[in-house]
Amino acid sequence: MARVGVFVCFCGANIADFVDVPTVVEEAKKIREVKFAIDYKYMCSDPGQQMIRDAIVQHRLTSIVVAACSPRMHEKTFRKALSDAGMNPYLLEVANIREHSSWVHQKDKKAATEKAGDLVRMAVAKSIANEQLHEISVPVTKRALVIGGGIAGIQAALDIADARIPVTLVERSPSIGGRMAQLDETFPTLDCSQCILTPKMVDVASHPYIELIPYSEVIELNGYVGNYKAKIRKKASYVNFKTCTGCGACWQKCPVKVPNEYNCGIDTRKAIYTPFPQAVPNKPVIDAEHCTMLLKGKCGICAKVCEKGSIDYKMVDEVIEREIGAVVVATGYDLWDATPYEEYGVGRYKDIINSLEFERMVSANGPTGGVPVRPSDGKVPKTVVFIKCVGSRDKAKGIEFCSKICCMYTAKHAILLHHKVHDSRAYIFYMDIRAAGKGYEEFVNRAQVETGAVYLRGRVSKIYQKGDKLMVRGEDGQLGQEVEVEADLVVLATAVIPYKENPALARLLGISYDKYGYLSEAHPKLRPVETAKAGIFLAGCTQAPKDIPDTVAQASACAAKVCGLFAGDTMKKDPMISTVNNEFCSGCQNCVQVCPYQAIVTEEIPLGHGAKEMRTVAKINEGVCQGCGSCVAICRSMAITLAGFTDPQIINEIVAI
Amino acid sequence: MITLSYKGKNTFLEAVNKKSGSDVLECYQCGKCVSTCPVSNFMDFPPREIMQMIKLELKEETQMANSTWFCLTCSACSGRCPREINIPAVMEAVRHLAIEENFHPDSKQVKNIRKFHEIFLDMIKRYGRNYELRMMAEFNIRTRNLFKDMHLAPKALLKGKIPLGVKSVKSAKAIKKMYEMAEKLEQQNK
Repeated sequence: MARVGVFVCFCGANIADFVDVPTVVEEAKKIREVKFAIDYKYMCSDPGQQMIRDAIVQHRLTSIVVAACSPRMHEKTFRKALSDAGMNPYLLEVANIREHSSWVHQKDKKAATEKAGDLVRMAVAKSIANEQLHEISVPVTKRALVIGGGIAGIQAALDIADARIPVTLVERSPSIGGRMAQLDETFPTLDCSQCILTPKMVDVASHPYIELIPYSEVIELNGYVGNYKAKIRKKASYVNFKTCTGCGACWQKCPVKVPNEYNCGIDTRKAIYTPFPQAVPNKPVIDAEHCTMLLKGKCGICAKVCEKGSIDYKMVDEVIEREIGAVVVATGYDLWDATPYEEYGVGRYKDIINSLEFERMVSANGPTGGVPVRPSDGKVPKTVVFIKCVGSRDKAKGIEFCSKICCMYTAKHAILLHHKVHDSRAYIFYMDIRAAGKGYEEFVNRAQVETGAVYLRGRVSKIYQKGDKLMVRGEDGQLGQEVEVEADLVVLATAVIPYKENPALARLLGISYDKYGYLSEAHPKLRPVETAKAGIFLAGCTQAPKDIPDTVAQASACAAKVCGLFAGDTMKKDPMISTVNNEFCSGCQNCVQVCPYQAIVTEEIPLGHGAKEMRTVAKINEGVCQGCGSCVAICRSMAITLAGFTDPQIINEIVAI
Repeated sequence: MITLSYKGKNTFLEAVNKKSGSDVLECYQCGKCVSTCPVSNFMDFPPREIMQMIKLELKEETQMANSTWFCLTCSACSGRCPREINIPAVMEAVRHLAIEENFHPDSKQVKNIRKFHEIFLDMIKRYGRNYELRMMAEFNIRTRNLFKDMHLAPKALLKGKIPLGVKSVKSAKAIKKMYEMAEKLEQQNK
């Protein structure tokens, strides 16, 4: 015979003002199985918990019902009280009479009290069928996989590795460094980007706990938190990195010229190349799409000049596997292609460039040696127009968000322009100046006061050519008059969009992404680093546009999360998960389809005892299952049970009202 | 339509900055000065727009606007300016440049304002302080509007707002000297 204890909470005035708590207690006492019922002002307080502990012992209770706030708030508290009294914590039921009754029925105290009584009756009925459950332990593989070797991936990898946890860092291009390696100086302090980044890149390469796999991609991820298995495809580099010394003879002699991605295509690189001088690892790779030896079987100059014999044209892609416990995704961003802005003549006029191209030009190691030039005639521009919000905040172009970093880097560009070309002026068309950050507002003021950059409030309506000038027409919102700037060069601050293969990667990892392709965090405010899938974390612009400080902070947060995950040898997990009764399972696999966590797979079992014929049944991975119950609802043969929410429990609840 | 491009340094801005001792580039166009100014309603361009026009080197428009002449130099704007710009000093600088270059509005209003300024300065030079009665008389004569505000005279007289004589100040001589020095400096700077 079940012996249930009922504990009703006043929650100060939160419940007591609208629910007559003593009446609820009296109602509870009428239930046959309830052997003890009491109310208290704050059940979650220490004395409240002590009441529960004492009652369990005194009245030999077999299950407990706490009628209080949402189980999200204090279920853990009360479970702990149960286990302290030597009772299985899962024999607790919480009747939520605050959010579900007193808060929503403030106008009708009588009805609220009646509903609270019903909720308690249901909880009591359910608790009678409660079973003893035990926390699940899942083993953990203590190795992290970091996808993306930009500043986010580098920071996450270094922080995790510094905690002596092995890290595999996968980068798709031949060198780590990412977008930050392309920048000249960084706001708001004008530090040289390379100078602050390259030491970190070298640290990654030399760190004993980091395995750097450049020029490769993750192609498969299986398993569950703490126990993932990743397949990584190492693209054929056609260069033996073990023997290559990085002398550079190969790329100096290579006759094939290809637009240089690192310099945004402003100049060319060779078909065998290292992306930039400070590349890590500083070993060249052969671009198979352009190498004449690989395409036509002719040339082979690089192999001839290589003293070490490191060139191997027969190299093929290689797939390697790694067992890992957690994943940090840091795939970064791209710039939006502004071609849809036909009114600006993007693509028609050579002297319209995007801000990353400008960044490369003013960079000391850039294609123009640090001086901005007009792509059309190579002249140094005197009047440079910067247009902000190109694509960003433009619903008509399908991008409604603010790209966050453009205001700051445009101010930086105005200052850099002034540094590189003294007799010049920047005209900046803006909609708002968003300079929220430490030292940011001061930086924008510096651009205006020190360099005389002219800020004009308005969106540019059109750009047309007049002689060798580009006429940029917009409104000066401050004067309420139309303005036209005779520009030598126009720089567009185009929208920051996620890495184009984010959706494919998200599907591969089993995480979600938004309509733009940004990967989704578990909660926009309180869980900005985790994804909905346990053990997968997000760093940097893969989640939303971010500047460097925010990216580094998020990457370090990822590292903290990974270290927390790996703190013990096993992970504890709630036992509320589904199990399949093989006797009933018909193998229809509807559950496999509906499971949002990809926790259900199929397995083959003998048709009967000792039979040779096999049949298919569903199998639930207890490490992945989050206990949502979708499979229980869809299962037509009622073969799946969700612990803590079994059929008898639910039926009891229904019968009780 | 305003056409803009880089044609060397903004000399107008530099001249105004030098004369006013303020930096117009500091202005971030919040418009607090406009809503503070008691006479901005009567101006062609309110102070905020004057700042923007100086930034854009719209010299003609700035000098031909009546705004700088209407400015009362009450300093309510600069007292509230978050960027600590001395706006009346900027207005004055534009006014001085306009006088130097003899390029300013030719309207009757602006002419009268100039006359008022001249007469006022003359009063100070003579007496070391304002002599209201003479000031009014002279202004009415010079603007050829003899009976302007005359109907207010009896009331003002009765209340003692218009003393009939002028009390000389102790340091009248020192003030005269200041004028002489200022004139000398102005000559030197030319």
